[in-house]
This record gives sequence, structure tokens and C-alpha cells, in this order.
Amino acid sequence: MTANQTEILEQLIHDVNSKCASLKSAAALLKNVSDQERRELLELMAQQAEKLTKVIAAYKDQ
Amino acid sequence: MDKLNTLVIEDDPLFRKVMASTLGLCEAPAGARSSAKGAGTLAGHAIDFAENAAVAKEKLEKDHYDLCFIDLKLGDRDNYSGLKLIALARSKGIYSVVMSSHDTEPFIQKAYELGCDDFYAKGNEDNNVSQVLARFWQKREKSKEENIFKERFITEDSATKLAIGEALKYAPSDLPILILGPSGAGKTSLARLVHDFSRRKGEFVAINCSAYTEDLLEAELFGYKKGAFTGANETRKGKLLLADRGTLFLDEIGAMSLKMQTKLLKAIEEKTFYPVGSDIPETSSFRVISATLEDLQCLINEGRLRFDFFQRIHGLTIRLKPLSERKDDIFPLISFFTKQGRRLSFTQEAKTELLGYNWPGSVRELKKLADLLMAGEEGRVQAETVKRLLNSLRPEEGASGFATDEQYRFALRQGLNEAVDRFIDGIVETGLKAHNNRKYATMRDLGISSRMLYDSLKRLNVPLRKSTRRKPPVPITSIDTATATGRISVPEALRSGTAAISNVNSIEVKEEVVA
Repeated sequence: MTANQTEILEQLIHDVNSKCASLKSAAALLKNVSDQERRELLELMAQQAEKLTKVIAAYKDQ
Repeated sequence: MDKLNTLVIEDDPLFRKVMASTLGLCEAPAGARSSAKGAGTLAGHAIDFAENAAVAKEKLEKDHYDLCFIDLKLGDRDNYSGLKLIALARSKGIYSVVMSSHDTEPFIQKAYELGCDDFYAKGNEDNNVSQVLARFWQKREKSKEENIFKERFITEDSATKLAIGEALKYAPSDLPILILGPSGAGKTSLARLVHDFSRRKGEFVAINCSAYTEDLLEAELFGYKKGAFTGANETRKGKLLLADRGTLFLDEIGAMSLKMQTKLLKAIEEKTFYPVGSDIPETSSFRVISATLEDLQCLINEGRLRFDFFQRIHGLTIRLKPLSERKDDIFPLISFFTKQGRRLSFTQEAKTELLGYNWPGSVRELKKLADLLMAGEEGRVQAETVKRLLNSLRPEEGASGFATDEQYRFALRQGLNEAVDRFIDGIVETGLKAHNNRKYATMRDLGISSRMLYDSLKRLNVPLRKSTRRKPPVPITSIDTATATGRISVPEALRSGTAAISNVNSIEVKEEVVA
């Protein structure tokens, strides 16, 4: 693996880690928040999942 | 508690939402002074967000924040600009917390080197954020308290710090506080400190109950209407009304008569009272802080303090140690007293002298000494100077200052006759103890007559044993003549001015008695 590939992989790991961390924390919050807040969180979580998919897809393309 | 301003620097909208919800739900630690709105949570505090480094930099530079959560990588192409923001936040005195998925050793080390207070890996916010906040509160409280002990109530004594911390914990509540401690230990200073931390909008109003007779105290506390009594030329507000929405500090409550305690108890319970000479009630919402140098149990046992009144004023009891029991405070206190004036330095011998002294007047006496030293000739203070000035601060035996404050208050309450008897009884009791209850030796050493001794023993309820032998009385003269023949008692002779109270031990005894 080249230095560039290593860097790209590290970047991917960070992005995936970071986004999964947000999802995990958001999921933990769901049971303690109001309906309105739950809806907002779920919407943001869905967007986050989409971003995650895109990040992985982009890596595959590289 | 002050309203906190928190800044969350985070590019991820989901994570910003997570932080908003988590910070709003976090419990404040027990003992943290909470605002009314946000009691128990951080919900009442302001939370601000910055989604990139530029906005964060602007906000940090322009606004005031107490706490800052920083993500290290702010955007896909960002080069860890969060690191630079740590330094900026720290330079502003903000408690800085890094939250990042980049939690490898080099990043953690770099963040701490730049001055962050806390670092945690994202993904467990419900647990991590509450722990971060607990550490933040702890640091904040500690730093606040350290300032208090350096600027407001100077002490390095851990027990005193603990006692003051305890009092301040309850400062924002309505709980009455009772401060116990010897004269000069800082009772008034503590009461004022509690008031300042109470966020009460009204004034701190102090009254020394021992400085007034019963009638005057009533007028001072409740106020009076014009013409209520001779000399009441105008209507005047009492301390209770002046302390509305503030704090009423009752110093030396042991000096208050039972009648006055009853009246005050009613006013404290109902927050309503009648000024002297008025039939229109006044209302005042005040918090009571009281203080006494006397033994409370003794006051209650002797019937000088009503139990219901005691219950009403002693929500939290704080005991302040005299300076003699916290000598580590001597030099920090001197340094504080001389802060605005001449700075002093002490030779080792002078320091030993100060540390060896027992400071009967506590911090007040030290303040007097500091004032004298500042006005003196030496900047580098010698032991001889300390000795000389400490001697000058002591009341001379037999001088008019012989009567203590407590004795004076007792005399005001019970009358001088009772006070003289009490004084004599105290001396007699001490004398008997010193002589293993040998009456003759006590009489001889105290220079008192048998009549004085037996009158005292009677008052002290000491069972009297009949004499087995008696020597014929020898002729007696002056004060003893009168007392021995029963014309007047020695206390009366003392009261009538034949002898001064401070000269009790100089009365010549010419009567010999063997009990």
C-alpha cells in the first residue's frame, strides 16, 4: 500500500468512525427526548447514514 | 449560580444536535449552586454552536464563554484547525474540552500540550459529557473557593475552609444559619459573605443584640411610629424592614431577652410585624443569620434561649475556630491586612512570638496588631516590638476593661446585683476547685469572709456541712464588719461602691473560720 493509499484509508477510517460515533450517541438519546426532538434526530441520523454510504462509495471508486 | 455560556465547535449537524440534547439533559453535580431555571440540569444555561473554524474563532474572540467543546477536524478538508482553537480558548480562560474520533496518542498529547482540560473520544456522550461537566464544576467551585479564601475570608485552615464552603453551599437558600465562635473569629465577615453569595436583592442588615436594652432593641428591630415613646420624634424603619429581600444578621443573640425572642420568633415565622406604636403591620421577607459566642446548650439549659426560637434560627450551624486554633492563618492574615498599606517582614524570633501567642481577641486582635505595626517605625519587625505591642493590646488587670462583654450583657439583662453574685460564684467555684474544696484555703486565698463564701455556696447549691469546731470570731473592720454583722452583704457592699468589683481579691479578711 502506497503512502497516499494509507492516507486515504486513514481518512476513511476517521470519517466512518466519526459518523458512527454521532449515530451511536444519537441512538442513545432517542429514548430520553421529546417526540419533536426524536423526529429531528431521526432525520439527521438518516442524513448521516446517507453520508456514510457516500463516503464508503467514494473510497471504493478511488 | 452564574449563567454559563458554552460553545460547541462541531461541523457535523447530527453531532451538534447530540450535544444540544446531551448538555440540556446533563445533571449538575450535587452541591453545585444552581440557577432557579436550570436547577439540577444545564438546561437554563446558554449553549452556542460554531460549525467551522472561522466562525468559532470569531465567537471565541468576541463573546464570553465558560466552557468550550472542540472537535479537532472541522470539515472534510480541514487540517485539524480545532487544535489552534484550543490555544485560543485557553488564552481566554475557557475550560476546553476536545471531543474527537482522532483519539490516538499523538493527538491526545498535542491537545493537552496546547492546554485543553479534557479529552474524550466521541460516541459515548451520555456518559462522557456528564463526567466532563462534573470535572468542570469541581474545578470552577475550587477556583471560586480559593479566591474566597484569599480575598474574602482569609484562611488556610482546612476545617475552616470546609465550614465556610458548607455555609456558601446554602447561601442561595432561605435556610437560617447560626454561626458560633468566639469574639473576633469572623462571624460578621462570614454572615456578609453568605449574603453576598445569596443573590438576594435586598441589603445586608446587621444588629448587635447585646448593644441595646430590651426597649431599644425592639425599636431598632421593629422600627417605631412618631410619638410612640418619648424621643420618638419621627417614624423610623426598623432593621427587619430594612432587610426586606435581604439578610438580617442578629449578632450576640444570647443577649436577647426571652420576651424579645418571642416577638422576633413571630416576625420570622409570619414575616409580618408591628412597629412600636403602630397598629398597621409591616411585611418583610428577610433571611436570618444569627451568631453568638456563648454556649447554646448552656443558654437553653439556663432558660436564656427559647427552644422554639433556637429551632427557628439554627437551620445550618457553622462553628468558627478562634485564631489560636488556626495559627497557620496568622501570616496570610497579616499579609491581607497590610495589602493596601505598608508591607511588613518579620524576623524569625518575631514570627515565633506571634505563633506562640494565644490570641484571646482572635482575628480582631491580630488586625489591631497589624494596624499598630503598619503605623510603627519598623518595616522589618523584631520580636521585642511584637511583645511590646501585644502587651499593649491586653487589658490591664483591675482596669475598667476587666468586665467582659458577656458579663456586661448579663448585667444588662439580669441587673448588676445578679451579675455581681454570678461573678463572685464563679470565682468561689474556681477557688474551691483549686483547693480541693477546702473552704478555709479558698477564703484565705480569695480574701473573702465566711459569709460571702456560704452565701455563694448556697447560690451554687453546694450542700453545706455543719462546722465541727468554731474559733471565736476576731474583731473585723470596714467592709467585713458590715457583712459579718449581717447589715449588708458583701455583694451589696461591692454594689454600693464600697469596693470595686475588680478589687474583690483585695478585701481584707480578719475573720477566721474553720468549716
